[in-house]
Amino acid sequence: MNAVAAVRAALVLGGAAAAGYGGWHLWPQLPTAWTWLIAGPILHDAVVAPAVGVAGLLLGRLVTDPARRAWAATGLATSAILALIAVPLLWRPQPAPINPGLHDRDYGLGLLLAVIAALIGAAIGAASVSWTDRPKPTAPSTRQPPEQGQ
Amino acid sequence: MRLRPPRPEDFHSPAHTPAVTARLGLWLGVAFTVCFLTGLASHAAQHPPGWFTWPTRPISLYRITQSAHVLSGVAAIPLLLAKLWSVYPRLFIRPPLRPPARLLSHAAERLSILVLLCAAFFELASGLFNAAQSYPWRFFFVETHYAVGWIAAGALAVHIGVKLSRTGTGLAERPDPRRRAILRIAWLSTGAVVLATAGATVPWLSRVSVLAWRSPGGPQGLPVNRTAAAAGIRVPAHWSLTIAWPGGTAQLTLDELAALRQRTATLPIACVEGWSASANWTGVPIAALLTAAGAPTGRALRVSSLEPAGLYATSLLPARHAADPLTLLALRVNGQTLSPDHGYPCRIIAPSRPGVLQTKWVTRLEVLP
Repeated sequence: MNAVAAVRAALVLGGAAAAGYGGWHLWPQLPTAWTWLIAGPILHDAVVAPAVGVAGLLLGRLVTDPARRAWAATGLATSAILALIAVPLLWRPQPAPINPGLHDRDYGLGLLLAVIAALIGAAIGAASVSWTDRPKPTAPSTRQPPEQGQ
Repeated sequence: MRLRPPRPEDFHSPAHTPAVTARLGLWLGVAFTVCFLTGLASHAAQHPPGWFTWPTRPISLYRITQSAHVLSGVAAIPLLLAKLWSVYPRLFIRPPLRPPARLLSHAAERLSILVLLCAAFFELASGLFNAAQSYPWRFFFVETHYAVGWIAAGALAVHIGVKLSRTGTGLAERPDPRRRAILRIAWLSTGAVVLATAGATVPWLSRVSVLAWRSPGGPQGLPVNRTAAAAGIRVPAHWSLTIAWPGGTAQLTLDELAALRQRTATLPIACVEGWSASANWTGVPIAALLTAAGAPTGRALRVSSLEPAGLYATSLLPARHAADPLTLLALRVNGQTLSPDHGYPCRIIAPSRPGVLQTKWVTRLEVLP
């Protein structure tokens, strides 16, 4: 058995043991926790990933330049992630009493400002594309020939 | 146009290439590893097994480990989503129907990934809600987050074991500009969410981090995690501190406590939810207090609060923390008498401890045998 095979076997066996230990601890909580456990992959595979795909297709139609499209995608992805991590701050179904100095910001306004900042940043990135990433019209190829005589 | 389920070859984005997948996987693996190890550390600090004592130095140790825990979890959210987008076409691979051994290994791999994803999403979502102190579920958070953390770490180790050579190949491949642009989206959005939340524990970011759980406000310059009203605290008119030890007791009034030699120490409150704040605390070192009362030192203490019930109405101060000269029974914070929400008449403040164990409204110290 070579070293790589030994490492792989250790990872698989050790990982299975750790997961088993966790499962044994989880067992008493499973009746109340299983919906939260299964919700992640379902929401991701059926909602989030298809939405990303559709957004990507639409973006491909709207912005044809690949470098600018990447910056537009950066702005959209960052805005979406910021909105996602703001969910527990904005949606509080069983609110604990708000304590002074904790969770007492205006998170709606905060999210708006963060999204605006992300979009401005992405717009600056897209604008900078025209004078940095543009291939120079005179250069026939960006590839350098391999250096000789090293 | 006829609709049909997508096939892996329908996806053309440069995101779905081994060079991108391997790099995102590596970053995500680092974030998960930091998160898991610091999570174990926090669990050990709060529920120490018999052979373990959490160190008292550096004084910010728990602040650092728990900030790393929460922020690595926040960073893992965009990294996980980017990684999954990168491998999303593989979801549509048709299972090989024969030979049965191949079908079996395909099913085993799918099952291990399902376990990993259930656990990973659960840990990130439940941790994020816990940081916001919102609990829209019926399971017990501490026990479940701990258990699923082990499942996530174990399933991740299995996944790395299975994919090791593939990751190596992907990392060896140099990403072209279009693939680098995809990676840039991942690390810029990761940076954005860390920046938007890190002010909960990094003071100079508190005004930048618009989505941080801690705001710069709070009485006496410190946030309050549990108010005196929420804990049902009523300080008796003739409050006094009881110190009990095997074979003796002592009572000290607030004036008597204030007449003892005071010490001021700058110590952080570092909460399990990932926020932290430093303050100047003034009070009597626990070791000096016990000596003045004639009680034995060098042993663990049970600290009782005026709080009538609840998980954190009492706490155990380990012998190492009780003996530390910086562990105070604090009467003042930032130059003022403790406000009711910060634990008036007195509270425990010890270096490098989870905030929930820094018991407020102390009424009794019991030296354990």
